[in-house]
Amino acid sequence: MLDIFTQSPHFYDYVTAAVLLLGVFNVAEVLFLLWNKARVESSELKRQGLKRLASTALITATDPAALLPRPAKEEEFAAYSEAIASVLDSFEGEIAVKAAQLISDLGIDDHYRRLARHRVWYKRGNAIDILSSFKLKSNREFFLAVFRSETSLDVRYRIIYGLSRLAREHADIRALARMLSGLPYLTAKYTEDIFYNIITALKATGSEAEFGIFMREIMNDKTVLNLVKRDCITACYAAACEKGRGLLKEYYAAFPDEPEILIAAVKALARMGDFSVTPAAIRHPDWRVRLAALKYAHLCCMDMLPEIRALLRDPSYHVRLNAALALAKGGEKGLAALRQEAAGPDAFAASTAAYALSQEAA
Amino acid sequence: MAKILIIDDDETIHLICRAYLTKAGHTIEEAYDGPDGLLKAEAFQPDLLLLDINMPRMSGFDVAKKLKENPATKGIPIFMMTSLKQESNIQRGYGLGIEEYITKPANVEHLKLRIEKFLQSRK
Repeated sequence: MLDIFTQSPHFYDYVTAAVLLLGVFNVAEVLFLLWNKARVESSELKRQGLKRLASTALITATDPAALLPRPAKEEEFAAYSEAIASVLDSFEGEIAVKAAQLISDLGIDDHYRRLARHRVWYKRGNAIDILSSFKLKSNREFFLAVFRSETSLDVRYRIIYGLSRLAREHADIRALARMLSGLPYLTAKYTEDIFYNIITALKATGSEAEFGIFMREIMNDKTVLNLVKRDCITACYAAACEKGRGLLKEYYAAFPDEPEILIAAVKALARMGDFSVTPAAIRHPDWRVRLAALKYAHLCCMDMLPEIRALLRDPSYHVRLNAALALAKGGEKGLAALRQEAAGPDAFAASTAAYALSQEAA
Repeated sequence: MAKILIIDDDETIHLICRAYLTKAGHTIEEAYDGPDGLLKAEAFQPDLLLLDINMPRMSGFDVAKKLKENPATKGIPIFMMTSLKQESNIQRGYGLGIEEYITKPANVEHLKLRIEKFLQSRK
């Protein structure tokens, strides 16, 4: 086959043509890349310019919509949306009211509502994300309607996220919990974020107590996953839900065999400065609960020194190590106990104690 | 009036804070990330620094730590302005020696008043 080419009187013509074609292709590729770079840079500059214009109009004008060119292209909608979402996230008062007004004045909400019905799922998801970032109460009914007809799980999760930022009352939390339980459990972070948003939205309207009522309702509800209950507790900590302290203790007492819930409760309470369940957690049969409690033992429980010292012989390596670190942080008595253990006959305890002492010295 | 340095990666925040604070007669310098902010803090020697936490390249906590470690900048009062509301973050901020921890969304008029009251109290 190769011979046909090499022995052909046109061989060198073929080679020349191939080299020329390659050259042309390379030049075209470089030109395309340069054109694309210029296009992206120009689009980014335009987007930044529009964002700046929108922010300036919000600061200076009483009617910003009158100053701003009406968006027509997707990138123009995106630029205005970014600027408005940033203002709504960061500021409240007059400027936030003007920013919210701008959404409808410029037809931004209508545009993204149309996109939320697009046939391509990621465009729908993107539109839902942008509508969520506005936190407009008027979007609540729209989100609920879209949720009912939406087929993509990915978009449904996003709708729930958007709705969680608009929670106002007890019924909203129950509705969101029902929606969540109708979908496969996604991740702890996602569920925690949903409840965090709910608490934050309720706090903004002074209805934080509603979340406490909800948590009490689901405590013994078997249809709600324990993982979801755990995420509620974690969100309670993340959103600084100080009023839920008593409820967290009830959760600790109600789920003695659910390490995930116990750990979340121990951590949430300890971070609120409440160590009332920590001693019990240090004695818990599950090593993960003991481990979580030992992280705070030096802050509350040095009167349990013999028990913490005994945990240097715990079957779990992680518990042994954290017991030693708790003793190292627990003052002179803890350090004295560690020094004794470091020189003792138990090789496991001695090495862990020596490690903790070296860490404390460092 | 006072010299104020704003360190935030969001241009919208810069525009709004600059507009309100300049109107109140303050001189504004701006940085869009931590390393640039550290350089400008040393060169500009502001009377107050408005600092975000979530930023590229260096977090606001790291910026505050470095500012407080540097003898040339350790006296600069820091107002952290962030959407992080968790108690642990607030404690961490105050632990680094910041003066105020302001959570977003903030009322920009109130922010201006807080800054002015703080600056007056230091005179």
